Parts: sequence; C-alpha cells; structure tokens
Amino acid sequence: MLRITGGKVYDPANGINGKIRDLFIQDGRFVPAGAGGRTIDATGMIIFPGGVDVHTHVAGGAINFARAMMPEDHRRAQAFIRSKSRRSGLGGMAPTTFATGYLYAGLGFTTVNEAAVPVLSARHTHEELSDIPIVDKCSLVLMANNEIMLDLLEAGEYERAKNVMAWYLWAAKSYGVKAVNPGGVAAWKWGKDAKQLSDSIEGYSKLTPGNIVTALARMCDELKLPHPLHLHCNNLGAPGNISTTLDTLQHLEGHRAHIAHSQYHAYGGDDWDTMQSSTTELADYFNTHRNLTTDAGAILFGDTVTITADGPWQHLLYKLTGRKWGNLDIENETGCGIVPYTYRPSNLVNAVQWAAGLELLLLIEDPWQVFLSTDHPNGGCFWRYPEIIELLMCADHRKECLKQLPDNIKGRVKLPEIDREYTLYDVATAMSAGPARALGLKTKGNLGAGCDADVVIYEEDDSVIRMFSHPRYVIKAGEVVIEDGDIRETPEGREFLIKPGYDPSTEEFIQPLFEDCYTMSFDNYPVELERIKRPDIQQCGAAE
Amino acid sequence: MSITLTLKEEPSVPLEAEVLSASRLADLSYDEICGLKLYHGKRQVRIDDFFDVDGERSDQVEIHGDLHRVRLLGRDMDHGHLTIHGSVGMHLGAHMTGGRIDVHGNASDWIGAEMKNGFIHVHGNGGGQIGGGYRGSLRGMKNGTIIVDGTAGLEVGLRMRRGTIVVGGVVKDFCGLQMKGGTIVLLSGAEIRTGAWMNRGTIISLKPLQLMPTFQLSCYYNPTFLNVYARYLKELGIILPWRAENGSWARYYGDCSVPGKGEILVWHPHVA
Amino acid sequence: MQKSKFLPRGRKDRTMVLVDIRETKSAKAADIFLQVKPGKDFELLTILRAMIKDQPVNQAMVAETGVSLQALQDLVNRMKSCKFGCMFFGMGLSMTRGKHMNSAALLTLAAEMNAYTKFVAMPMRGHGNVTGADVVMRSQTGYPFGITFNRGYPRYNPGEFSTVDVLVRGDTDAAFIIGADPGATMPQPAINHLACIPTIVLDPHVTHTSKLARVHITTAPAGIAAPGTAYRMDEIPMPLKPALKSPYPTDEEVVRRIREAIEKKPFWMPDDSEQMTLAQV
Repeated sequence: MLRITGGKVYDPANGINGKIRDLFIQDGRFVPAGAGGRTIDATGMIIFPGGVDVHTHVAGGAINFARAMMPEDHRRAQAFIRSKSRRSGLGGMAPTTFATGYLYAGLGFTTVNEAAVPVLSARHTHEELSDIPIVDKCSLVLMANNEIMLDLLEAGEYERAKNVMAWYLWAAKSYGVKAVNPGGVAAWKWGKDAKQLSDSIEGYSKLTPGNIVTALARMCDELKLPHPLHLHCNNLGAPGNISTTLDTLQHLEGHRAHIAHSQYHAYGGDDWDTMQSSTTELADYFNTHRNLTTDAGAILFGDTVTITADGPWQHLLYKLTGRKWGNLDIENETGCGIVPYTYRPSNLVNAVQWAAGLELLLLIEDPWQVFLSTDHPNGGCFWRYPEIIELLMCADHRKECLKQLPDNIKGRVKLPEIDREYTLYDVATAMSAGPARALGLKTKGNLGAGCDADVVIYEEDDSVIRMFSHPRYVIKAGEVVIEDGDIRETPEGREFLIKPGYDPSTEEFIQPLFEDCYTMSFDNYPVELERIKRPDIQQCGAAE
Repeated sequence: MSITLTLKEEPSVPLEAEVLSASRLADLSYDEICGLKLYHGKRQVRIDDFFDVDGERSDQVEIHGDLHRVRLLGRDMDHGHLTIHGSVGMHLGAHMTGGRIDVHGNASDWIGAEMKNGFIHVHGNGGGQIGGGYRGSLRGMKNGTIIVDGTAGLEVGLRMRRGTIVVGGVVKDFCGLQMKGGTIVLLSGAEIRTGAWMNRGTIISLKPLQLMPTFQLSCYYNPTFLNVYARYLKELGIILPWRAENGSWARYYGDCSVPGKGEILVWHPHVA
Repeated sequence: MQKSKFLPRGRKDRTMVLVDIRETKSAKAADIFLQVKPGKDFELLTILRAMIKDQPVNQAMVAETGVSLQALQDLVNRMKSCKFGCMFFGMGLSMTRGKHMNSAALLTLAAEMNAYTKFVAMPMRGHGNVTGADVVMRSQTGYPFGITFNRGYPRYNPGEFSTVDVLVRGDTDAAFIIGADPGATMPQPAINHLACIPTIVLDPHVTHTSKLARVHITTAPAGIAAPGTAYRMDEIPMPLKPALKSPYPTDEEVVRRIREAIEKKPFWMPDDSEQMTLAQV
C-alpha cells in the first residue's frame, strides 16, 4: 500500500480540479481506500496523473541514425553516470535508450508513444523500446507509403487492404496506424513528392494522397482501433499549407483522426517572405469538429534535430540550410530524413512557427483536443516541455518573449492578441488525461480506482519552469521511481500492443506479394511476440 | 613564485589530467592541489599519487617528466602560463580561452582542439588534428595561435574557423581540411590533399605542395597583407619571405568541389 | 538479376559502373569499368563533386587519376540522367589512404546528386555482425565504436579509444575479446601488446588471438547453435534461428556469469557519483 495524503489533486478524467484528496495505491493500481504501507505527505503539493507523450520519436532506426550523425551534440549533452542501479547514457537531442527513460521519468512522464515505426525494422524499434526503463510504451506503424497497401488501394481492393493493414499491425507488434505525407514518401523513391491531396503519385496512375487518407481513416475506424488514424499531413512546413490541411480534414469527414504536430501544417502566405500563421482557421475547424484531436508540435528556439519519415521535406531542409543530411529509404514501405536544425528568434519563419504552436494550444478551446508536444525532437527536445507549459500559463511571459521577435512579425501572427492562460487543470489535460484518452489507453492519465498508479507530484512554485522540471515525486505503477531529484527504482515498463481481427487467408495472400518485392524471407518479417518485454495486448472494438 | 609538478610514477594506462591547467591551479593551496582528482583509467587518483608538488597559488605552472601518456593538459585554460618539460599526450590546450602553454618536447593529437583563444607553442613534434574540431563538430578552433616547431600529422586545422597555426616541419595529408577561416603557415610544406574541401581561409606554404585537382591557379603576386603578417610572425620567431626581389607567391583558389573560396599561397623564390 | 515492376527487363534496364584499381571478376559483369590508380579515389570523387556542379577542374590532375576527363564526363551525364542511382563501397575506400575521408567523399557526392535525381549510397560492412554491434552501441551509448566508459558515461574519439590504436599504444592493461580475431589482423605492436597483458577470448574456434591469450572460453556459434539477432548492412535486423545444439555456452551466458561474479566485488565507482548526471569532460 502506498498512500499519498493531503495533496491538491488534478484529475481531469474524473473532473477533480485542485481538490485536496488522498490517493491509495495497491499492486500498481489506484484503490478507493487503504491503510498501512508507506505514506507520502503531499500537503501543499500538486498532484497530476503521470504525463503521456502522444507523439515523440525516441526509438528505432531513424533515431539511431540521428545518433550516429551527431557526436558533437552527445559531447555537450547531460551525461548519466553508471551506478549500481542505473545504466549510463547521454541526453541531448537524440538521447540514448536508458537516458530516455530517466529523462522522461524525471519530468513526470510515464507513458510514451513512439510515433513512427517501419514494419521492416520494427524488430529493432522494439529492442530500443525494451531498453527504455520505467515508462510504458506504445508505437505506431507506418502505412501511408506502404507499396503493397498502395497497390491494393489503386486496384480498388479496399477490404483486402484493410485486412492486410490489420495483419501488418500485429506483425509489427504495434499499437496503431501512422500516416506520414501519404503518397509523398512513395514518390520520394523517384526523387519526387506529393503535396496536394489531388496530386498524382509517381509510380501510380490513379491513386491520390486524398484516397489514401480517407481509406486509412476508414480502416482504423472499421477495425475499431483504440487510437484513430494518426496523420502527418501532406505539404508539411510549406507557406500556404493551411489549404492542404483543411483539404485533408475534409477527406477525413465522418471519421476519427489525430492530426500530428499541427503547428507545421497551419501556415498562410505564398512563400517564405509572406509566410504567416493561419492557426485561426485550423482552430476554428477543431472547435467545430469535436471528434478530432491533435498535438501541437510547438517549437522552441535553440538547437535540435529534425527526424521524420517525410523524406522529400527533409531533403528540402538540407538544401535550404546546408546542414548535415541523413536519408534512409525503407524498401517498399517508407523513408526517413534527418537534418540538425536551429530555430532562431531572429528568423522570421521560425518566429511565426513559434507563435503558431502556442496559438493552436490556446485557440483550440477544448484541452481534450489539443495536446502538449514538440514532435520531439523536431520542434524541440521533450525535456524542454516545461518551457512550453510556462508560455501557456503566463501571458506576460509570452508578451516578453514576443518582444524578442523581429518587428515584421506584426500582422503575421495572432499570439499578441491572445490573453488566455492555461490553468493547472488545462495543463493536466493537455499533458496527461487528454493524450491518454486519445490513445485509447483507458488506465492512463486517470487517478480513478482501477487505473494505473502513475502519478507526478510537484511542489508549488512561482516559477512554472522550475515546478514542472523538478517534480518532487514520480510514481510509476505504484513504485516511487523519482524522489527529490534522484532515481530510486528503474522498473521495466510495459508495451501496449493491439491484435486487430483479420481474415485468416490474409497471410497467404500477402506472402507472394511480399516475396515478389522484398529482400527478406517472409518468415523473418513478423516480429516475434517473445521479443516484446512485458507485452500488454489491448482490445480493439471496446465501447467508447 | 610558481607551482612545479614532477612526475614520480609512470601511468600504466592513460592519465586524464584536465585539472592540470594554469588557471585551474592559480588560486589553490598546496593541499588543495595535491588533492585534485585525476583519472588513471577508470580510477580516480590524487595528483600527489603521480606528481611531487611544490608551490601554490600561482598561475605560472611548470610540469616535468615524460607525460606522453598524460592527456587533457591545459584543457579549458583561460589565463596563466603552463610550461611542460617533457612530451605530452592528446588534447593539449583543448577548448582553451586564454593564457599560454609551452611544451619542451613532443605533443600528440588534438593540440588546441576547438580552442577559442590563447597561445600554444610545442617545441617538438605535434600529432594530427591540430586546432581541429572533434568528430562531428562543425567547427574547429575559433581563434588563438598554435606553433609546432617540428612535424605534424593528419588533418592539421580541421574545420578551423579563425586563428593561426604555424608548423615548422612537414605535415601529413589533409592539412586545412574543410577550413572555414584562419591561417595555416607551413614552413616545410605537406604531403598530399592540402586544402581539401576548403570553404575559406588561407594556407601559406614555403615549399611546393601537391594540391587537389579542384584548385585553380589565380596568379603570381606579392600581396600586401603578407608583409604585415610577416612582421607579426617575426615577433614569434618565424621568418616568412615576402620581398618581391626574393620571389613571389603562386595563389590558388578552391576547393571548387564545395565550391569554396579558400586560398593557398605557395612561395616561388626567384632563381638567382 | 531481379526484374521489378519499374525495371521490367531486369539487368537490361540497369547500368552498372565498376570502379576499381584492378580488373576483377566483377568487371565482366559491369557495363562500364573505370580503372582508377591506387590512392586516387579521394581525388576522383572530389573531381566528380566539382563536375556535377559545372565547376572547373585541373585537367592534368584529372589524368593522374587514371580515368580520362571524357570518361568522367560521360559518368556524370549518366548519373544525372538516371532515375535512381546507388553507390556501394567497401574497404577499398575505407581502409586505404584517406580512410574515412574516402567514404565521406562518396557519401557527399551521393547527397549532392539529389539536387538532380534520386541517389543513395551504402557502405558494404565487414563480415560477422559488425552492423549489429554498431547499432546496439549507438542506441545504448550514442556512439558506434571507439568508446570509453572510464568516467562512468560513454565518450567517443576514434584514434584515441578505437581498439587498434589502444592496443598499438599499449593503453590498456587487460583485454576481453569476443567474436573477433585481432591476433590475425592487427599490426604487430598491437599483437605484441595483447600477448603481454591478461587477454580473455570468447570464440567458437581457437583463434590466433586465443593462442596468445591468458584464457580462452569456447562458446556456441551464433546463428548456428546460439540464438539472437544479426543486422544486415542496411541496418535491418534478422532473427537468428539456431538449427543445432552446442555443448558450449553462448557468448551471452558467459558474459552474464562473468558479470555476476564481478558484481559480488565492491563497486568500483567512487561514492560521489551518487550524483546522477554531470556535465561532461
């Protein structure tokens, strides 16, 4: 039994907004009451459910490639020292596996969603996820440029494609479906892109990105996946791309969807010189379509590294910046591009991006629809989330920061006019309860009886950054893992998987298609369940 | 008054001694100096486990002994004078921001790596990557002066941004690799691939060089800046020919593969 | 050669260019063979970088590479007009004079070619599970090789901490060799040093290194009698499914048992590293 007494509880899933409540934990879950065991006196402290990062890139071939590209960042990163209970590691922009767990736990985050996994290298992603201590994980598998899927969609074989996708989800041992620049990354195999939903896709005659978007969203709904289609829209980062994003949303009408890092998809203007924020239009759409969720993908000024499956976009970034560039093509499935990048307040485009991320978090009214993220590490490193929380909670601080931006930012962004400040309740929703619900993880982000006992306890502090950067206690599955800034325990986390139903003939159907174009034996393709540490298979089709 | 350290015990594996810098020791008492930590392999040891210590509270530091296995001497130094009588290991004066280091012996790789300012004079031979950027770093030294009287190794001035490097003996391949600025003076020339992938900066060689195929000859001339530069180098004991009656400089630009705007000047003495 | 959806005639739809210092068997299979003079790869690749950008090159020095300007211009034209170009390279670049810069030159050329068409490059790794070791090192330490843990966290510097250099300089006082045979491949000073220090070898075979080691432990061969994962050179992991049983323990088992024995000894890190993190050296 672990008791937490006298703290001010923020539990949006149960409507608890700062009430002084006691919490009781037994066998890793919350229970209604109990006695004995350890008591943490949380008087004067603030209690949140453990953080849930709904969109991050922390494990897999892409991140590992980024690690190779940046020894200079590793050298200046925070070093984790080997101890009897702790592995060594390095923080920075592409933290090593052990360090990733320590860093997230140190911030009070207890569940992490690895947002982009190619099926072909999923085995490796799971190796890295297994190494990450403390936090629970889930992962999303890349589908929108999978050529077997695209071939089936082009041939009008929707039902087959749906079964194949279900097969892929289980083969990759993943939790949900990720779509990145649908059609565009397939086109990148030809050195091309597909920016608009009605564009043709190189190598295909009829199929459009719009077809892919609608089909995948429909499949996720029909398979009753706990998390809807998670979509990185076409035309990321381009001035004027708000129209592509709104077009995408039209294509999603009638379906659930989660729009990834929407900041990068909310720009007006025609070119870099006239680029501006069009977040109002996007926020209006979210405010009138309550079945959609998004994560902000906010940027923070400073150094970081961009890592996405959006191969063509990353090549463009390389050409624009002359920075280092890494490119991986995954046969038949997807791509990956990596470019280290520095966001500067003096750069007008970066200034617009900085404002846009915050605007989306502030203009989308329902905190259950918009979540805290930087698309780590693309917009900024996850261990800087407290800086975003401060910007959301303190309008004065925002105004001070706006003064650092170039004068010609005026008229391009809405942020100066926004006075809204996030309350602690809003923050708890945006960083925990909301993402947990969107992911369909019913036992997460929730301090109610029966839910997983993941708790973060902060000391009240006038400095928002200090408060959120240094939780007093972090509890994971009822174990105190962080206390007074020290790592006390490093339990293994679980990995959430789903096993959607599919027609038993599907595997037989895929095999010859696979053998025709892959360079691997079909037997070696699916990830063996034994490789997943502490797998937790979630149901598809549970009632909403 | 100065501080003197004498090596009394040969390290069996490399000794990491970044605490041995003039600025680090400048305000410390004798006991504090003796108790500073060095890394001998994976074990932390005290300075007085390996050195006899004499003196305290001085930014004039002398070290005696064969220190070829001692690394990181003078690292991060920002003022004072560190003199070593003996050879030293890697990373001499790396990340320095000020002060002066003299080595009466040979040094190893990474002399003055990523230094921001300061002065290093190795009176013997040096290793590779002098004034360079560590692997992956976009830039090497940002400023400062490094003089090596003897020979040097590969990648001298790797990605240097500014500052001066002078080498008395022959240097190996890739001198000035991906240089971004600054000046390298080669008194005895180099092996191959000098100036490879240069962006900007100046390499001055008193001996003929084997250049990359992506360098083009501009002209033969006697640039005015060189006689000013020669005067500065004379104060450091380095003689640069510049008088037009004695010869002229062949100027090459490149590396066109980047394309870069670096320059390489090669001395052509007039035949008597 | 494989026919594919976009290259229906298979080999006929592909052009293979082979660059080597001598005419090997592969030259017969190539459409174009360019014989480069030994030690001129870096120059050749740098010339190509200039030529694709229409930058000037020194014609006399081009000739010194052994490949004519005309042949290079033809190559550049073909590279720019192809639909998908791929360069493979191996130890002929990475182990000859220039070393990592030869590899860098080829990779940079591939990156710059993307301004014109789709182009990629891939290093052909050595035998065994080199790629696997690289991948695991990187995910756990951030660095692929040449790593020291002496300060309790990973630090990287090829030439300082890479094995051959450590052994040649005699910077180590013990060696633990797993699945490698430095006694057969490394320079003599390295081999001599391995012979003087306590060296422990884990290998299915008694190797050259085993013969100069203090301890040799025979282990089950990976992939044949021991399970695990091997990585292809494109970093795709393949499961190893052992077909046979071995009377010998796996490498993993031996390492675990050694570690358990070490854990019974007093922990060697000094107490003030209760501190979780610090700024690096």
